[in-house]
Amino acid sequence: MAAPMELTCWGGDWGLPSLHPESLTVMAYAKFSGAPLRVHTINNSWRAPKGDLPVLVSEDIVISQPAKILDFLRKQKYNADYDLSAKQGADTLAYIALLEEKLLPALLHTFWIEAENYCSVTKPWFASKIAFPLSLYLPGKMSREALNRILLTKGGPPLCSFTEVEAQIYRDAKECLNLLSKRLGTSQFFFGDTPSTLDAFVFGFLAPIYKVCFPRVQLQEHLKQLPNLCRFCDDILTCYFRLSVSGHSPAGQDTADANLQKLTQLVNKESNLIEKMDDNLRKSPQHPPHKLTTLKLAAGGEESSPMSRLSP
Amino acid sequence: TLCFQAFLQMCNLPVRVICRANAEYMSPSGKLPFIHVGNQVVSELGPIVQFVKAKGHSLSDGLDEVQKAEMKAYMELVNNMLLTAELYLQWCDDVTVEEITHPRYGSPYPWPLNHILSYQKQWEVRRKMKAIGWAGKTLEQVLEDVDQCCHALSQRLGTQPYFFNKQPTELDALVFGHLFTILTTQLITDELSEKVKNYSNLTAFCRRIEQQYFEGHEQDSSAIEARSSRGSLLS
Repeated sequence: MAAPMELTCWGGDWGLPSLHPESLTVMAYAKFSGAPLRVHTINNSWRAPKGDLPVLVSEDIVISQPAKILDFLRKQKYNADYDLSAKQGADTLAYIALLEEKLLPALLHTFWIEAENYCSVTKPWFASKIAFPLSLYLPGKMSREALNRILLTKGGPPLCSFTEVEAQIYRDAKECLNLLSKRLGTSQFFFGDTPSTLDAFVFGFLAPIYKVCFPRVQLQEHLKQLPNLCRFCDDILTCYFRLSVSGHSPAGQDTADANLQKLTQLVNKESNLIEKMDDNLRKSPQHPPHKLTTLKLAAGGEESSPMSRLSP
Repeated sequence: TLCFQAFLQMCNLPVRVICRANAEYMSPSGKLPFIHVGNQVVSELGPIVQFVKAKGHSLSDGLDEVQKAEMKAYMELVNNMLLTAELYLQWCDDVTVEEITHPRYGSPYPWPLNHILSYQKQWEVRRKMKAIGWAGKTLEQVLEDVDQCCHALSQRLGTQPYFFNKQPTELDALVFGHLFTILTTQLITDELSEKVKNYSNLTAFCRRIEQQYFEGHEQDSSAIEARSSRGSLLS
């Protein structure tokens, strides 16, 4: 508790603090429980990610899996489940198991195995966050691990071809989303008005599906048909991560402010220019009046009217 | 296997249990057990439940949507934790593997087939454990996970006779199957069954289901005994 705890995890985009479900779960839990975490996102530096992310470091203790990290935070008295009854705690475990069995395979597939998504979005994004030459190797490795996991857990007979496995995991994932939506109903969080571990896990899994712009988006489309889950994600993003729903991060907000400032300056300059032009126009009548005075000398009675016309 | 028998008994459907050595190959999905009805063969709990439902018997009709969601979630929890823990114990704990699992798994086959098939199955299971992240777990951690799972089930059951009030559902059948197997299987250590025994309402639950649905069927009770010695094999 003396030294602040540091969390190393994958960064975010598309309005999310992180693209990685497990990192997002830990960050959400930390926000819910009020744990002071210093978050380091992986960026293009030589401090290569060792092992699995997210990783929590607290006074020489290194913990790597989300469940263990959450346990550690709870032991440090940052407990988001304090108000839950025993039955609700049991429900939490059950629903987390449901997420891991039914939703995670489809999530992994959307990110790492669906060819269009992987090549156009996932691989470039992750590669941009890791230093060369690891950026050539690590995304491929993560993709292979995802495929392995899906095949070993879901790919046994009678599902013989990979397309059948894919169809099955997406069916399971859509059913899981429906079940979550029914369980959430109209309440703000899964157990009443305060968020808990289950909310962190659900958010961690749902937000990447909801926000990341992929070319192939069948899961996202299904999720968008469940408005209470979308509202759930948006609520957490706005309340706990201070992100606006349209997706500007606080850094983005600053750039928006900077843009606004620039725009104001431009407008000011424009108005200054206009004023100068006005002044010039006011001053410039000195030239035509020469002609006019010659005219005036020529035509006597019309002297005053051109002068009055030209004056502001 | 027990969970299927329990489920079918709960639906009041008569069932005859047959043990065969090549059962895994007879099954359409390679997984045991499977049921053979008329000219249809269906394996695995999910499809069997749907098959039975299509024929007009269902245990979970009385549940509302939220309860159905809960039931599915708890079934996943049992599959995730208990099933994986059972597999881990059978195939990744070296002592158990050598003394119990290898001999049992290979017993129907002559040498050297028994060794080859055992090692093949062991390699398969270890690969799966690695993919889901259980390979790095020690036995204590696995037992702790089982304890957590049992704690959750115990909390959910509370003092009710079944998980969802007065009527048994698929969840009850599944939980019964796993817990009974754990309680009655002879392993090197009793730690696993001790974990379950810590929760008195769970042991009472198992006993109650056994009495209600399995006693009086002599064929089945002898099948259960045969199961209990081979129970850890078929999962």
